[in-house]
Amino acid sequence: MDTSERIQIASSFLLQAPPGEINDVLNDVRNIISDDEALQVGVKPALREYNLDQFITVEAPGMNHQCIVSEAARISGNDEEEERFVDPRSKTSFVFDHLGLEASDPRPYELDVEAEPLRSALEAATLAYLKAHFYDGVASVFSKGDGVHEYTIQVVANKYNPANYWSGRWRSEYVINFEKGKVTGKVLVNVHYYEQGNVQLTTTHDISFNLPPGITAGDNSAAPKILALIEDEEGKYQVSLNETYQEMSEKTFKSLRRALPMTRSKLDWDKILGYKLGAELSGSKEGYAAS
Amino acid sequence: MAELVDCMLDLMRRLPPTRTEENVNALIAICPDYADDLLGSVDQPLQLKTDRATGRDYLACDYNRDGESYRSPWSNEYDPPLEDGTVPTPRLRKLEITANEAFDTYREMYYEGGVSSVYLWDLEDGGFAGVVLFKKGTSLIELRAHISTQLQIPIPARFCYWCPRAAMTPSSDQEPSGSWDSIHVFESGERGRQAHYKLTSTIMLQLTTHQASEEGNENEKKAAAATGHTKTKDIQFKRNGEVTIGGSMTRQHEQDWPIHDPSSHITNTGKMIEEMEIKMRNSLQEVYFGKTRDIVYDLRSVDDLERARRQRELQKELVGFIKR
Repeated sequence: MDTSERIQIASSFLLQAPPGEINDVLNDVRNIISDDEALQVGVKPALREYNLDQFITVEAPGMNHQCIVSEAARISGNDEEEERFVDPRSKTSFVFDHLGLEASDPRPYELDVEAEPLRSALEAATLAYLKAHFYDGVASVFSKGDGVHEYTIQVVANKYNPANYWSGRWRSEYVINFEKGKVTGKVLVNVHYYEQGNVQLTTTHDISFNLPPGITAGDNSAAPKILALIEDEEGKYQVSLNETYQEMSEKTFKSLRRALPMTRSKLDWDKILGYKLGAELSGSKEGYAAS
Repeated sequence: MAELVDCMLDLMRRLPPTRTEENVNALIAICPDYADDLLGSVDQPLQLKTDRATGRDYLACDYNRDGESYRSPWSNEYDPPLEDGTVPTPRLRKLEITANEAFDTYREMYYEGGVSSVYLWDLEDGGFAGVVLFKKGTSLIELRAHISTQLQIPIPARFCYWCPRAAMTPSSDQEPSGSWDSIHVFESGERGRQAHYKLTSTIMLQLTTHQASEEGNENEKKAAAATGHTKTKDIQFKRNGEVTIGGSMTRQHEQDWPIHDPSSHITNTGKMIEEMEIKMRNSLQEVYFGKTRDIVYDLRSVDDLERARRQRELQKELVGFIKR
């Protein structure tokens, strides 16, 4: 197998890493591939893809808050320039190291002036929502700009507890388009529990709804109204997840294997063997008699 | 050398259980020398096969494999046929036949369906080892087994070779589906009238629920009419999602039991496996429906945390006020 194929497999392993375990996976992959030089260059695209997909967070340079590194945060520039990401909250752009997970070279970044009032209103409402419902949440709100009334809200909450063998991640994204009057969102939850095993919860939830006629881009109360809808939707989703748990536990799990046999007691193994031998004997007798 | 295997096993403990087969194959492609180590230590979902001679279903895994062929516990034949395939000694085969019957009764009592298989093999030190397997799915496998019993005719497994995967795909919206695979490997060594057993059990469990809904105007209109709000009436929601909990759990147990005759090995391992499955079913219940759910609630709270914080502050203030 040539190096490029090995790197490709290593990359697919990295993309499957559970929340907070990318370094553990990378460490295993390093030992398995045992070609650091090829690996360092080869897995960079996979690490970048993983970070962007997973809404990896970083401390905004020189700020006291975290921001999200994602496709929405990427500033499109020309190919020769180094890739940069923006933290709209501090109006700063930076370079992101996908292996070290650090931001560097901060520069002031000018956001779209026309979109800014609504964007910052959405940001304020999102941060309030974050405080109300997430324990360690981070959020970023982006505006598309260039005269397009489109805004993207991203939320991520992580809990890593390697000492107790578990980790979890909640990701939400909502794209609000005022021209289409539509909100398209998704909620993704991943949980890994690996004490004496490997158990993973993966959920996907796609949602779309139209903006009610009362909510327009020029409306001062648009931001809190939209966040109220999101809050309601995510609350409902979390409750429905609870119901799914209950159904899986009480129906599916029970139908796969009973806790105890119908008799409500454990098997009598001596009897089972006795029955079996008895059945065999009587069976052979019958067969003998019939023929 | 050992370290590399450890890295591979650590990796398999982290990557999604739903993709175990694919990832094991990828690892083998990178390190072909470790194929046996990997196949021997990473448990994979059991394959369902049908015995050509008896028409009965059996389970295939690394323990009844010789080359590309698998041995059926019912006819003792390999499929595809092998001239010189490894089979247990006649004495052990006799025990294997009885064990298969006993664990088939156990399967019916606890699983009320599904398929079981027991394979035994001799150990170099004079003892023997074995594996007891159970597989149950909530969809096609069960349907096929059921039809097969009802009609009193075997239905070839090729009709659901895709079953292990199909079992994960819910037959309709909102209906959860699941699959359960048990692998109990044991070693037995006799010491006079006692036997020492070492049991390693793995259970693989996967559950999937698909959800889709559309919330039209009707409910909203009624609600809007009742409350006098008009702004929410025109919101239409479309939702589509899936919840999957999948994985495996492994436990070990060692115990001494008395032996009176060869069949004692069946009652002894039977009791150990029954005890182990009961314990592990409880642990699975706790981890699948308790722990993973708690972690979700550690990420997000349904209740408003700010309101709770304010309540606590208010209480503190009042306590301070009263003390004064």
